[in-house]
Amino acid sequence: MDKFVALTASGIAYGAVLAVVALGFLVLYKATGVVNFAHGDLVTLGAYLAVWTTTSLGLPTVPGYLAAIALMGLVGVAIERVAYAPLRSRPPMVVVIATLAAAIVIRGIIAVWQGSEPKTLAGPVGNRVVHIAGAAIAEQRLLITGVAAVAVLALLFVFQRTPYGRQVRALAADPEMARLTGVRTRLVAMGAFALSAMLAALAGILIAPLGAVDLNFGFGLMVTAFAAAVLGGFGSLGGVVLGALVIGLIQQLFGGYVLPDYAATFPAIVLFLVIAVRPEGLLNLTRSRL
Amino acid sequence: MIRPPDYRRRHFPAIAAFVVLTAVIGPLLSTSRADQFLVDLWLVYSIAVLGFYLVFGLAGRFAFCQTFMMALGGYTSAWVTRDHSFLLGVVSAIVVTALAAGLVGFLIRKAQHFYFAMATFAVTQIGMTIVGQATSFTGPNGQATGIAPPSLFGHVFLQDADIFWLFLGVLTLCLILVAFIERSPLRREAVAARENGLVASLSGVGVQRVQLVLFMLGSAFGGVSGSLIGHWQGVISTDSFGTDLSIGIFLMLLLGGVDSIWGALIGAAVYVALPRLLSGIEHYSSIVYGVLLLVVVLAVPGGIAAAVRRLPRRFPRRFSRRVADAEG
Repeated sequence: MDKFVALTASGIAYGAVLAVVALGFLVLYKATGVVNFAHGDLVTLGAYLAVWTTTSLGLPTVPGYLAAIALMGLVGVAIERVAYAPLRSRPPMVVVIATLAAAIVIRGIIAVWQGSEPKTLAGPVGNRVVHIAGAAIAEQRLLITGVAAVAVLALLFVFQRTPYGRQVRALAADPEMARLTGVRTRLVAMGAFALSAMLAALAGILIAPLGAVDLNFGFGLMVTAFAAAVLGGFGSLGGVVLGALVIGLIQQLFGGYVLPDYAATFPAIVLFLVIAVRPEGLLNLTRSRL
Repeated sequence: MIRPPDYRRRHFPAIAAFVVLTAVIGPLLSTSRADQFLVDLWLVYSIAVLGFYLVFGLAGRFAFCQTFMMALGGYTSAWVTRDHSFLLGVVSAIVVTALAAGLVGFLIRKAQHFYFAMATFAVTQIGMTIVGQATSFTGPNGQATGIAPPSLFGHVFLQDADIFWLFLGVLTLCLILVAFIERSPLRREAVAARENGLVASLSGVGVQRVQLVLFMLGSAFGGVSGSLIGHWQGVISTDSFGTDLSIGIFLMLLLGGVDSIWGALIGAAVYVALPRLLSGIEHYSSIVYGVLLLVVVLAVPGGIAAAVRRLPRRFPRRFSRRVADAEG
């Protein structure tokens, strides 16, 4: 029983981080139609920036994290300027390739700046654990779940209730029409790049204290998050959150009980099966009814 | 007899010229062991990228599993050649990778664009994990050692300078095969399916069949390449076919150009040669790759091959325009 509770808790925490990654990915996709292959490397960069602000700059953990997240907002704007704005009128494939180029550059910059040795990021709560139903659960995991839940709720609020969110949704539904009715697409796009990069950084910072940060840290997370997004229908934000939790739980529970050596492949298997059976995602009911 | 327009591209003379040129220049470039290694690496990567050209360039399928196919080919061949000949090893690598690609491609035949990319990426992840764990098949930690050197008709290829001729021979065969496809209706159907699947299928093109065939064929090229790498180096591990190489394969084709077979060869040459040319700032090589890719995408979307092809046409035009400006 305590094993089950522990695995469930880590599954939920992992799923929460995945939801933040996937939402960052989707915000950009909805606002600009860009599938950003650099998103995983933004997660990595965010974690490295947090390592830098807390160790080299000597900031306390939480202000250091916030500084890293703010910096990542600037990085997002910079990517928009360099790799997206000049390509606005090009076919989508060109833009995707540009994000791949951005990913390679970010990876190269991190390698030059921090080296290829794995780094560790100190968490704000250290290694303390709490006991729930006999299971020892790292406080960091509870913190992850809480912060991610707040971030997701805030994001849902932004999308449903603010002018910015309405503009993004209008762009997602029909870019031409949105532009004709006066949505300032360039500003919205820039904001989406910044927001997406900040969400990537948040996800990286949340999960980094549980392990080590290296160059491939974000890439794997991005693919798993993509599995969650596909499972959730690649469009509805609520579906994505649900998909992320399902993937997180599957990975931890199956990995914990059945085949520990193969835990990392479960999201990949789910992703493949979902695409094979329903290429448009499981929860995409509205579109299939159309 | 009417000659189809594709024949005007003169594939076979171009291939003959390329082979002769490489046969002359290759040994000249290979003055040191390190350079010989790079030349061989270029040839063997070219085979894999040529396969990827069929999948991504022609069929427009965003496949992320070419490196896995290389690994699969490498391990299959390593396993078969424990008891059998090199030739049988390569043939079984071809068969196994083509079958694997056929199965994967069939299961996700309806997936489009990024879904296909992600599903094939998932295949890579699953496959690599299994390869790493299945130690009886591969060896400890997914590392297969002591793979026999290539040998054909009693001749054993031990030196890198020897291997050069083997790789050039295999690459030539692959080029000829691709030229057949380039000159066949398959190319036309694949381009139609890539540009607009719905219209293509309405005009009688079996979109899924064409894409599946090219995916299998391209993956088999990857299998050949991986198998050759294994026999050449004697050792393969999951690290030799990691994330860096799968991004690298993309980079090679995109830098070189997605819309001609020469793009694959040019891109592989740039990818292999760049770290050597940048000696002293190797640390920055991946930044250079990325910036180069961005510049190529912005300036010449067709890659280096397209830029080269356009050169003879562009210069006279620019010249005449300047003359017209001066006169007008």
